[in-house]
Amino acid sequence: MMEIAIIIASIAIGSGIALLAGGMVGIGEGYVAGKAVEAIARQPEMEGQIRTTMILGQAISESGAIYALAVVLLLIFSVVLPLLGRLMELL
Amino acid sequence: MEPNILFYIYKLPVSEALLWTWIVMAILSITSFLLTRNLEKIPRGAQHLVEAAVDGISNLVSGDLGPEGKVFVPLILMVTSFVFLSNLIGVVPGAFSPTEDLTTTVVLATIVFVVGHVAAIVKKGFFTWLKGFFEPYWFLFPINIVGEISQVLSHSFRLYGNIFGGGILLGIVYMLVPYVLPVPLMAWFGVLMGAIQTAVFTMLAIAYIQMKLE
Repeated sequence: MMEIAIIIASIAIGSGIALLAGGMVGIGEGYVAGKAVEAIARQPEMEGQIRTTMILGQAISESGAIYALAVVLLLIFSVVLPLLGRLMELL
Repeated sequence: MEPNILFYIYKLPVSEALLWTWIVMAILSITSFLLTRNLEKIPRGAQHLVEAAVDGISNLVSGDLGPEGKVFVPLILMVTSFVFLSNLIGVVPGAFSPTEDLTTTVVLATIVFVVGHVAAIVKKGFFTWLKGFFEPYWFLFPINIVGEISQVLSHSFRLYGNIFGGGILLGIVYMLVPYVLPVPLMAWFGVLMGAIQTAVFTMLAIAYIQMKLE
């Protein structure tokens, strides 16, 4: 029983650490948006093209956060929930 | 992450996502049938809407792929309208976004992937296409394969993760503050994020097809 509790607790901590990736990606995407604003301020007539490039770049750099989210969802839904059921049976 | 199965048709299990996929398909089919019933040379009424949608997608595709990209316009338009309506339908109380299920997004990404590779084979010929996996050096072949697989993975997980994450956040807010506060959050996650993710999914699909054709 103790072992299962330790596994669940460490997965919870690990999921929290994995989601730090989301914060990092937030910093990066904010930087991209700031640069795009600078570019639009310099050349307002290129706004459409700059916005398209900005969204594409942000979407691709978001992959890191998406992988972290996928790992966390996989851990929580396929490892923690069955273990939680086992723990409840034991209690 | 098991699907929530509602009922069985003979032995075919119908999950919540599948049922709502059928509903979205029905809405799209009936709407496009009604909108394109009597087309005229000079557009009038709802025909403006159809022409704007087709023109917008066609400009987007030919901007990236050139005039030969016209063949991809129906596919991209289908993907865009399906993803957009699927994201928006999550705002309706009791409804379930088909894109909130990983299966739907993986299927969409796989369609784009297969279409891109088939188009590359048709355009460049089989052996030139095969040689593309051994560029720039032959021992980079495994890395190229992993790159192709991760393309499908990230393309599908991006849409799924955004919609599903927004849904989880909305669920938590519902539990804590059931009144007033969920409405602006719903507008943000349901409508605005849905529209942005549709644009991202469409542009990435075009970019991936272009990448394979080069």
